[in-house]
Amino acid sequence: MTFIDDILNYDSLSIVGLQKNTGKTVSLNYVLDRLPVERKRIAVTSIGIDGETTDQVTRTQKPEIYLRQGMYFGTSEMHYRQKRIVSELIDVSDENTSLGRVVTAKALTGGKILLSGPSSASGLKRWMKDMHRVGIELVIIDGALSRMSLASPAVSQSMILATGAAYSTNMNTLVQQTAFVVDLIKIPLTEEANLNLLMPIEKGVWYIDDEGALHELSHISSLSQDFRFEGMDRCKTLYVAGALVDGFLEKVRKNPKLKTCELVVRDFTKIFVSPQQYRLFLKAGGMIRVLQKSKLIAVTVNPTSPLGVTLDSDTLCERLSEAIQLPVYDLMKKECN
Amino acid sequence: MQLRDHIESPCGLRYVFEQLELQAGYTRRWMLDMPMMRTGEEIARSYEVLRQFVRFVEEVDTPYINTLQFRLQGLKDIRTTIKNLGQQAVLDDIELFEVKHLAILAVDVAERMKAHGLDKAIAVPDLNEVITILDPDGLKMATFYVYDSYCQELRDLRAQMRQNPSRQEELLAECAEIEEGVRRDLSKQLVPFAKALEEAQIAMAKIDMNLAKALQIKQLGLCFPTISKDDISRYEAMFHPQVKDALAQRKRAFQPVSLTFGQKPTLITGANMGGKTVVLKTLTLCQYLFQYGFGIPAQSADIAVKDEVFFCIGDEQSIEKGLSSFAAEMKNIDAVIKASRENRKIVALIDEPARTTNPTEGTALVSALVKVLRGDNVSLVMTTHYDIEPTDARCLRVKGFENGTMNYELVEVQDGEVPHEALNIAESLGIDKEWIETAREILNIPNSVYLNPSNSRGLKPNLSNSIDLDPKGSNSTPLKKEEGGSR
Repeated sequence: MTFIDDILNYDSLSIVGLQKNTGKTVSLNYVLDRLPVERKRIAVTSIGIDGETTDQVTRTQKPEIYLRQGMYFGTSEMHYRQKRIVSELIDVSDENTSLGRVVTAKALTGGKILLSGPSSASGLKRWMKDMHRVGIELVIIDGALSRMSLASPAVSQSMILATGAAYSTNMNTLVQQTAFVVDLIKIPLTEEANLNLLMPIEKGVWYIDDEGALHELSHISSLSQDFRFEGMDRCKTLYVAGALVDGFLEKVRKNPKLKTCELVVRDFTKIFVSPQQYRLFLKAGGMIRVLQKSKLIAVTVNPTSPLGVTLDSDTLCERLSEAIQLPVYDLMKKECN
Repeated sequence: MQLRDHIESPCGLRYVFEQLELQAGYTRRWMLDMPMMRTGEEIARSYEVLRQFVRFVEEVDTPYINTLQFRLQGLKDIRTTIKNLGQQAVLDDIELFEVKHLAILAVDVAERMKAHGLDKAIAVPDLNEVITILDPDGLKMATFYVYDSYCQELRDLRAQMRQNPSRQEELLAECAEIEEGVRRDLSKQLVPFAKALEEAQIAMAKIDMNLAKALQIKQLGLCFPTISKDDISRYEAMFHPQVKDALAQRKRAFQPVSLTFGQKPTLITGANMGGKTVVLKTLTLCQYLFQYGFGIPAQSADIAVKDEVFFCIGDEQSIEKGLSSFAAEMKNIDAVIKASRENRKIVALIDEPARTTNPTEGTALVSALVKVLRGDNVSLVMTTHYDIEPTDARCLRVKGFENGTMNYELVEVQDGEVPHEALNIAESLGIDKEWIETAREILNIPNSVYLNPSNSRGLKPNLSNSIDLDPKGSNSTPLKKEEGGSR
């Protein structure tokens, strides 16, 4: 399938599921199975949302990843000790997770492994940097679109999105909701000058005036109800470092002073607004930009929900592909393999 | 007392510590756990090692230092693993990896030290044998697994596994047993090296520390102190790195100060904003830096070794503790007095004691403190705005305003007469005219309520460019906060 070649153009890929059981692990295994491990050094890890608790809540077995011989992987000490492959340790990091430190090793035989990597965005970035330093050419992250995760998949250059009937068994809803997420993923980057200025800021609401000076709106959370914009007549860029929610977006839209200003968020995972509110914002001429973005390489679907409902795979792929203008794959289907 | 107990001292020790370019997190923790050195021999030894590192950083080029620093970044804290080894536990793959990683690092660093004659200054134990045990194929790579070469049977099983993946689970179980046996055997072979591993880890932390201290000496222009033989500390042109940096940011220069103190209590008087507090801060900082073996921010320094350092400054923390500023201060100074009675050698640096109370009692308290802390085991430097009888103390004064600028130099004065510059300084700050003028009028009225002959030696010809006024009137507390910090 062609998107495998696409992946090789980037030095990092995250695979993200819109919901559990949307076939993320299938997508990951599909990719791992087809990447040319003999000519590319590949490392894989998972964003460690405390793996154990998640499993206990959903009562599903945390899926195992099948690694091919020669691949590198990052996992916690605990899962490393439980591994059922032969592998050679290359690094023990200072990165701590609830399951011990993150260790990195090379698979000397193929086999299944439980992945539980860095649990924070900065930890993940450090791990990725370490990997590139030891000569890894492609880092693959088993990502999560969960609010519980501190590590955003947007730290990777490219992305595969897994969706499916588990997210909604109504095809219309599924297509619309997925298309909305794809819209968010596609939000363009802000201009370079803003990037340098805003990238280090990890909390608060800030704005840049028409002379390029940065100001913090002190003691303000973008989540608070009584958010007011004061003294911002010259605001050119408004930056929300944390979560962007409906109430805030509405206030920005309704404020005549901010009509021409650009709204910047860290990355698409920080946007928690409803599709309605988002469309109203864009319709009113609003402009939204991000500091970090990933190239969406493909969308995969799992037409079967865990409750047994199965949507028609061909129709789903076709309708979704039309809505998002990107190829959509059902990897469960035989002919794909 | 360890470095971590002193690091938050308001003298600015943390600032100097944070400026060290330490490469490993472990070195940082190890340093914070370091006890303060309390003997001249110990301090002299540590400076001897540091001197060799300064010569080393002068000898080699920057890329060489960068490579060494990069290597030291790989230093990890594996005390738990070493402890397990010492208790003859069977180490797992991760622990064996840690041991091998440390050994490879130690051998590499030891070679570099030897090449520059530093192996005698800090000896890194030879861990080549450890590498041999954990590197059966002689690959010299800092990676680890239970290698095929340890056991032919293991090699065969793994080969079968690769040929026949469907039997992997079953073969893995067989391998696991053999691997465990190999690990048991390796652990046993490694037990005798537990101590050497521990020493190697500490030696590399020491190298990391000395390298960082040596680079800091070059960067900040610090000096090597000598160890005072007569309990008197002498500083030539000392400066406070943090204040100096803050001033440099505002394009202003720090005026270094020279000072000798020791056997007799030393009192520093001087105008507000005359840098008295900065002098005490710097003295405290230098004392700590000395007893923790850092370079000293001065042109030259001859420093007396102490058992304990006390820095009493009217502090903001008292509010958090719910004590009034006076109560907090009294309790701090009380601790100094108690320590002095225990016959420990202490240096006490006290900033304007009893500043917040009335001048009558304040003066009495300060005069009494000079008498109480007169003992041979106490080196006392104290700043004050009160007039103190100089019989028991040596008096220094900040030169003060000269031609519109502040001269921070300390000069010896024969009596305890305090300078009266508060109104001039307030005026130079652009403080409300009416207020200042009214104060002047009040002071010009003879026998005003501010003249209290009971605790003053009355009006005297003035020392410098200040006006004739009564000492009590010059205690303008509103300006206290500005002092020193805004130099």
